Amino acid sequence: MPLILASCLTLALAAFALTRRRLLWGVVGVGAHSLALAGVFFLLSAPDVALTEAAIGFGLVTFVYLLAIRRTGKLVVVATPAYPLLYQQGERIQGLEWEILTRLGRHLHRDLELIWTSRAEIAPLLRSGEAQLAAGGVIPRPDEGLPTRPLVPTRLVLVKAGPGRVGAIRGDRGEDHLPAGGQLFPGPEELLQALAQGRIGGAIVDLLRLRNWHLAGRLSGAEVTPVQEDLSFHLVVAPGEEELAHALEEVLGEMEKSGELAELIRRYLA
Amino acid sequence: MRWLAGAATLSLVGLLLFSSLNLSPSLQAPELETMAGMYGVRNAVAAVVLGARLWDTLFEVLVFAMAMVGVRIALRPLGRAQGAPPVPESHLLSQAARLLWGPIAVFALYLAASGHLGPGGGFPAGAILGSGLLLLALAQGTESLAQRVHEGALERLEYAAVALLLCTGTAIAWAGTKSPSWFVAANLLVGLEVAIGAWVVLHRFVAHRGEL
Repeated sequence: MPLILASCLTLALAAFALTRRRLLWGVVGVGAHSLALAGVFFLLSAPDVALTEAAIGFGLVTFVYLLAIRRTGKLVVVATPAYPLLYQQGERIQGLEWEILTRLGRHLHRDLELIWTSRAEIAPLLRSGEAQLAAGGVIPRPDEGLPTRPLVPTRLVLVKAGPGRVGAIRGDRGEDHLPAGGQLFPGPEELLQALAQGRIGGAIVDLLRLRNWHLAGRLSGAEVTPVQEDLSFHLVVAPGEEELAHALEEVLGEMEKSGELAELIRRYLA
Repeated sequence: MRWLAGAATLSLVGLLLFSSLNLSPSLQAPELETMAGMYGVRNAVAAVVLGARLWDTLFEVLVFAMAMVGVRIALRPLGRAQGAPPVPESHLLSQAARLLWGPIAVFALYLAASGHLGPGGGFPAGAILGSGLLLLALAQGTESLAQRVHEGALERLEYAAVALLLCTGTAIAWAGTKSPSWFVAANLLVGLEVAIGAWVVLHRFVAHRGEL
């Protein structure tokens, strides 16, 4: 009788593992199935085989699958560093957006893989499906994937430090407002350097970058005029990933309802 | 395909039920306990694996070692993956791995050393030790673990274990010696080979195909 029960349990666990849509649950099912199978072997008076089945089926195989899931089951996030929304400190990744993304990962039982890239690379990576999410102070254009609800309000400003051309970050919203003869830069750091060295006279950036430049003490005496109001930073989900966008909205909705989102915004941006 | 899988599963269940009803004819073979006694051990399986069927085991060990060398040679032209993306740490996993690694290693050692007295032996012990190493790899990242365990030395140790096992095993099989101490030594060597082999093969795949 115990043998029949253990056999039925083995079959049920195999069916469980096969029907799971989430890879992690599938692996858990396979591991439990191996353990039940080890029980069947034990009841059939084969303790040595049972031990080997438990060690290889439950131990080794489960760990190999888990290691593989780390890669394949990952949500790939492309981002540009944007303190304090998303930044790396030593080995650790931190920031308001990272807190939201880790909650999303936990919600979906998927690990996150963050790839730092330039702002101009984000849209093509989302379109090609190589990345599922974009983050790091993105003010999305209307055709750039599926943006979430606004996270932090901002605006675009023209920072005028002297005479000369105006620069912007390639792929950023500032590019849209660049007057004729303007110059594009791959990232905020290159833009700031050009501005500080006087190679360009001004730059169109968002308030967050301007704030960071001021906080770092690398920009003084510049004149700031607004260019476009009523913008916000969003997380952006790749086009065609409606299910993921829905899950992200769900997570954000819960965080907003519990007051956690407001608390995080206070903590990171106050 | 689905029907085929269903039929195969059902026939397996039928076989299990059939065997549990004790209706199948019993084989006429020497008493397992008698055979274990001949080799001076208590576990009949160990008496078969490392005694009566020693040649099978030796060639199995050789096949395992050859598979390892094959993985090494076949993956070499691929080149190593460079620059892994940062992986956020999981404190729960790293603490659990640190806590569990000791008991796992001790249990594996116990299974290998007592394989001639009860269920266990070198193969499961090696698999358990290998699982422990994989758990550490999962928590710390494979590359940092590979540096900490001195993989080059480990590999040499494994080849030495295989060579020693094959030499002494062949000698014992030729001479027909029956000594329990051989069982202990062979189980420990097999455990060492399987554990290091599992780790090295996994690490080769990871190193050549990108960090996991």
